[in-house]
Amino acid sequence: MADGFRLTRRWAALALLAPPLAVFLMFFVAPLVSLFWVSFHAPSQTELFGAELTVEHYATIFTDPFYHTIILRTLSTGGVILLLCLVLGYATAYVLAPLPQRQRLFLLLLLVVPLMVSNVVRAYGWIAILGRQGLINSLLRDTGLIDRPLLLLNSFEAVSFGLMTILLPYMVISVANALNAIDVQYREAAQSLRANPFKTFVHVTWPLSSPGVASGMLLVFLLTLSAYVTITLLGGPRMKLLVSLVFDAVGAFRWPLAAAISFVLLALALAISALILVVLRPQRVQGRG
Amino acid sequence: MTDPTADAGPPVDVRFTGVTKRYGKAVAVKALSLDIPRGSFFSLLGPSGCGKTTTLRLIAGFETPDEGDVFIRDRRVTETAPYRRDFAMVFQNFALFPHLTVEQNVGFGLRMSGVDRQARSRAVASALEMVKLSGFAERYPKQLSGGQQQRVAIARAIVMKPAVLLLDEPLGALDKNLREAMQVELRSLQRELGITTVFVTHDQEEALTMSDCVAVMRDGVIEQLGPPREIYERPATEFVATFLGASNMIDARVVEQGAQASLVEAPCGRFSVNGSYPQGTHLRLAIRPERIVLAGNGQDLPLPAIVRDVVYRGMTAHLFLECQGQQLLAFIQNTDQAALDWASGQTVTVALPPESLVLLDKGGAARG
Repeated sequence: MADGFRLTRRWAALALLAPPLAVFLMFFVAPLVSLFWVSFHAPSQTELFGAELTVEHYATIFTDPFYHTIILRTLSTGGVILLLCLVLGYATAYVLAPLPQRQRLFLLLLLVVPLMVSNVVRAYGWIAILGRQGLINSLLRDTGLIDRPLLLLNSFEAVSFGLMTILLPYMVISVANALNAIDVQYREAAQSLRANPFKTFVHVTWPLSSPGVASGMLLVFLLTLSAYVTITLLGGPRMKLLVSLVFDAVGAFRWPLAAAISFVLLALALAISALILVVLRPQRVQGRG
Repeated sequence: MTDPTADAGPPVDVRFTGVTKRYGKAVAVKALSLDIPRGSFFSLLGPSGCGKTTTLRLIAGFETPDEGDVFIRDRRVTETAPYRRDFAMVFQNFALFPHLTVEQNVGFGLRMSGVDRQARSRAVASALEMVKLSGFAERYPKQLSGGQQQRVAIARAIVMKPAVLLLDEPLGALDKNLREAMQVELRSLQRELGITTVFVTHDQEEALTMSDCVAVMRDGVIEQLGPPREIYERPATEFVATFLGASNMIDARVVEQGAQASLVEAPCGRFSVNGSYPQGTHLRLAIRPERIVLAGNGQDLPLPAIVRDVVYRGMTAHLFLECQGQQLLAFIQNTDQAALDWASGQTVTVALPPESLVLLDKGGAARG
């Protein structure tokens, strides 16, 4: 009886698991595997990919200085955005977390409002501010500080800053929730054990908030890697990142190259995610080392 | 506090002078003055919201008084930040750092005070030994039982060798058997170390078992302060009499004043009390249920009564008596086979021994 019941339960669990698993395998794993397969083929003018097997795309990416520049630029853009989001986001969350529930939720909601505006619209907003005829240039010109407009758009700074403002709320919400979940008793315990506010932060608050910091950083970094609209509109033809190259390769019907760049992008995402988790060790809050 | 012999006693580790703490309009602690002598186990006992936890937090510095001063070992710490005060604390839910091992938790305070690694690991090892957790240094709090976590919290506090150890209902999270075992253990550890301890609890039995001195608090004021036996046997107010175990309250009027004792009249009849009171004085008296003397009908105890109900409790029986309209509760010890042979409806006689009757303060005004 009991065994039969257990068996039934196992089948029921499998039955429940089957549909999402099938969808996952069919629409994620299978395309990914086929994309990987595509990336090792020569390009073709008529087909998706040529018949001939080759590693030339990967070879190009790893040897061509152009790709090195773009990879480095992608990493440094991601790094700057991560750093800005971490500092600004943590500081904001630190202020928000101790507020009374209603006030905190209201302010978090305010933070989310910009996310309701499309990235395209917001990128054009930045263009209106940073462009040649934009707000900043006309202000500077009117006050006589400059004679000819500064080139603010299509720059590393424009892309980093534009993306940072889009991604910051993810960091704030993630960290604010983590900080809010920390029992006050831990901080009081630290203080009762001679830890001043700074030491309390370093040894107690920071490590206990690390799960929120890690999830915030992962979100920010992965969204940076996959952002396209903001990069294209604010970066223009001069400030291209890896995603832009995928798009360009597809536009030139070089599908296998696009596939290879995608996998480099995926590898970067995995590597940096792993690095974030290794440095922050969010699992330590669970008390298992 | 005005006692002239106080200067001759042991030094005071914690002193409150006229401390008041308000939260908005609510007064949590009202003009509290208090001396806690070195080495004593001092309990703050009272129902929730009586101000006992606020008092503890005022010592720790997690709260700052609105009026008055707090001293730890003659040092005024009224506005001093918690991390600069000489205390250690065991929190209600232990508050062990989940991301640190037992060893790191216990060594945390020493590390923050800049004690070097070697001295630290020696001190941690001996503290863990004291709480019998020597083999657990590498574990994380999650991997420990409630009782073990409790010991770690105690070790983390005592390793600091603080002037005063604060315990905020530390046994509340444990089940009954473990709690009783920990009571004994904590008490003997405290004696061994001679560490001044302030213990907050709402459990009267726990306070009586562990303390040298109990302060019964109510509405931000200490109603009575004294050794457990005095608090229990000579309660000053009705609140103290009923909060610490059961008590029978009797309103009586003096009918005959004597030199040593006076005869009073109550609904249940006439009996005598110790002390000389003028005729006509109203007295509010309390007597513990276990102090009521009971005999079968026909025996010569002064007050006749009827047994309304008998509740068998094993070690004792609770007898609900009616004595001329006055309800009385009596606890009878199960000392021999016939001791608990009482039936409801039975007529009995009772006596209220004068030495067991306690005269209560009328208004329940604050003392101590």
